[in-house]
Amino acid sequence: MNPLERWFRAAVRGTAVSRLLRRFDIDPHRYWLLTDLFSELTERREMFGHLGRDGVSLRTASLFYSVLTGLISLVQVLLGVSTRTYIGTFLGLSGFLLFTILLSETANSLVNPVEGVVLAHQPINGATYTAAKLTHLLRVLAYTVPALNLIPALAGFFLPHATWSYPLLHFTAASLLGLLLALCCCALFGWLIRLFPPARLKIVGQVAESAPLLLLLFASNVTRIFRALDLKVRLGHFDLPPATLHALQAALAVLALGALVFGLRALSGDYLVRVSAIMHARGAKASARRGKTRLAAFIARLAGGAQDNQPARAGFEYVRRLAFRDWQFRRQLIPMLPFASAPVVLLFTGARKSPFEGPFSAMHILPHAIGTIAFFICTVLAFGSDYKGNWIFLCVPNTTFHGFVRGVHAFLCFSLIVIPHAAVYAVLLYQWGPRDASIFIAFSLAASFFYLALTLPLVEGLPFGQPVDTSRGAVLLPIMIGCGLVMSMVVALQHYVLFHSRPLVCAVTLLTATAAVILTRRGLDTFEVAIRYHLGQTSQESTLLYKEVL
Amino acid sequence: MANPTASPAVEFQQVNFAYDRASVLHNISFALRPGEIVGLLGPNGAGKSTTIKLIAGLLVPSSGAITVAGLPLPEKAIAVKQIIGYVPETAVVFESLTGQEFLELCGRLHNVPQDSLQARIRDILETFSLTSERISRLDSYSKGMRQKILIGAALLHNPEIILLDEPLSGLDVNAAILIKDLLAALAADGKTILYSSHVLDVVERICDRVLIIHQGALIADGSADSLKASTHEATLEDVFRNLTHTNSVDTGVARIVEALRS
Repeated sequence: MNPLERWFRAAVRGTAVSRLLRRFDIDPHRYWLLTDLFSELTERREMFGHLGRDGVSLRTASLFYSVLTGLISLVQVLLGVSTRTYIGTFLGLSGFLLFTILLSETANSLVNPVEGVVLAHQPINGATYTAAKLTHLLRVLAYTVPALNLIPALAGFFLPHATWSYPLLHFTAASLLGLLLALCCCALFGWLIRLFPPARLKIVGQVAESAPLLLLLFASNVTRIFRALDLKVRLGHFDLPPATLHALQAALAVLALGALVFGLRALSGDYLVRVSAIMHARGAKASARRGKTRLAAFIARLAGGAQDNQPARAGFEYVRRLAFRDWQFRRQLIPMLPFASAPVVLLFTGARKSPFEGPFSAMHILPHAIGTIAFFICTVLAFGSDYKGNWIFLCVPNTTFHGFVRGVHAFLCFSLIVIPHAAVYAVLLYQWGPRDASIFIAFSLAASFFYLALTLPLVEGLPFGQPVDTSRGAVLLPIMIGCGLVMSMVVALQHYVLFHSRPLVCAVTLLTATAAVILTRRGLDTFEVAIRYHLGQTSQESTLLYKEVL
Repeated sequence: MANPTASPAVEFQQVNFAYDRASVLHNISFALRPGEIVGLLGPNGAGKSTTIKLIAGLLVPSSGAITVAGLPLPEKAIAVKQIIGYVPETAVVFESLTGQEFLELCGRLHNVPQDSLQARIRDILETFSLTSERISRLDSYSKGMRQKILIGAALLHNPEIILLDEPLSGLDVNAAILIKDLLAALAADGKTILYSSHVLDVVERICDRVLIIHQGALIADGSADSLKASTHEATLEDVFRNLTHTNSVDTGVARIVEALRS
């Protein structure tokens, strides 16, 4: 720490700030201890999935946001938009992105049972702990608010009619918005912690995390879905006198403020004890539905053959069960929600027009949406919260993994490709008739299997066998954008070239299916090697007893 | 030795506890006196850890009253946490911290002055033979080493009441002997110790009194000798088997062996 930093630290942690903290029932000594602890644990990547983004991830994301908002502001300045439109665009964008980021960070940070178990029996009052957590969240704002708004605020100076104070106003408004959102997110979790029993907190936290994406998805498709369902919603117009309207607005504002204060107070109560109770709470009993297991046994037998039947079944059942129960794995899938809902949305928007009829049919996107899901799943499959259980795989013979990977692959095929296609096929048969529906589904199946085969080598080892690494998101983003571009080109090719001739589609389907078979064989071998390599690393790491921290 | 006239260090009065709707403890009442080492026994899932967590302020009873050093729970949970030392059943720690850093964190959270803190950490690490590993991250510690750190962290602030949930788990023989002697010395110094374990001979040897919990109810409370006398059994293990009805173990063993042969 340099002298300037030391001086700043001493000034911030001086008696004046301590007095202020005490007024809010915050113990300054423990507050600074906890803020230092969270900062240290984050930088050391302790409980990475829980303590959120470290400095490197935040800097990478900030750089991306700076470039993005810089480009948008450049375009708007060149177009000479009004200051109201300009600030509205950036506050809206900042609001949505900050809400998404802060909600996930708050969930990471607040629903952290390990931390609860270590700290719950320490003499830390709720206000102190909540204040330290909020300070930790503000760190995220310190990176993202300038990244999203600094360039636009400065560029706004060049807008027509902008005053000299515009950059300052823009930046202050964005910072206040960020602070308000951080408080709202904390208050939301305060409510959740108060309303739901500990055993349900983690799943409720996940639902809350996915809320912005679900809302966005619903909002962007609601009119299409309503149109497809022939539903008409007519909102009545109420002519309220201005006084009543103002009273109503004031009442709503008071209600919102009350909810915010109550949420924050709820969080600062016995929060740590409640979160530590997640560890002690009894989880929901798993259902023991026999029918599904019999089907799983059949599929695993198909995948593993007579010799590898049991390892294949182990792989199938292992992934099937943990995919639904591993908390961190499920959390990683939240960004995938828009793609996961693609088959349903496409049925509403594109099922009426056959791609062979001429006009563009949204159903062209189906195999590519499934391919995107496969990409997502394969990149995150190796990460989960139960990774410490991977020692069990160190105790089995290496030959087991031949069948095991086939079982995992069978599960992915069945859940990602076969089930959605079967559902879509049933609808398309009715809408397009057997010929077009069968040709399209055969093509889509072949393309989906091809995508899965391509992405299978991206599984970085044993499924759910490693702790989550949130910094990978920054690397995956450019890959995702690149893949999106390629997929768009393929969709265009399908529409403009391929789907004008049914025999041509059949021939391409056959070729794609052959390629998928060859690639799957290679992919399975690579996957098997990745598991062995990962387990080899795990066994080596367990023998490296002493890692010194200097 | 315990002072029978002293006011109780911990007192349970008709305590009930349930996780969601599953009842775990029913009408538990007992008192622990200062200077007493009390063993807490019971089969898996009987409610031993729940009892300890209730005293540590980690859980809130559904009904009944709990006082610790005269302080009611959960109202005075923070004050209670200042005077208890708790060793949890699972060795959960911040794994990226070193042993030294973890102990410093726990000591500072209890406001132990810096000079005393460093001296106590040094003594604890030396006694537990961890001095050379003090700058190693906790994720590289063995189970026993972590357990030693947790025991050290629980004692650092010189608590009046020590709650130990399976403290000898993972410890080597020397460390286990050390802990047993340490507990006796701490009790002689006036500390109240609640010791939950499945190792009956250790409980019999070091505890002044034994509480046996079975299916959430307190079914025995007394010294090992008085329990043996009242049940006409020769050892504490026999008393335990008798009271918790675990005599059917032999048939279970036979079933497993048969299943493995088939």
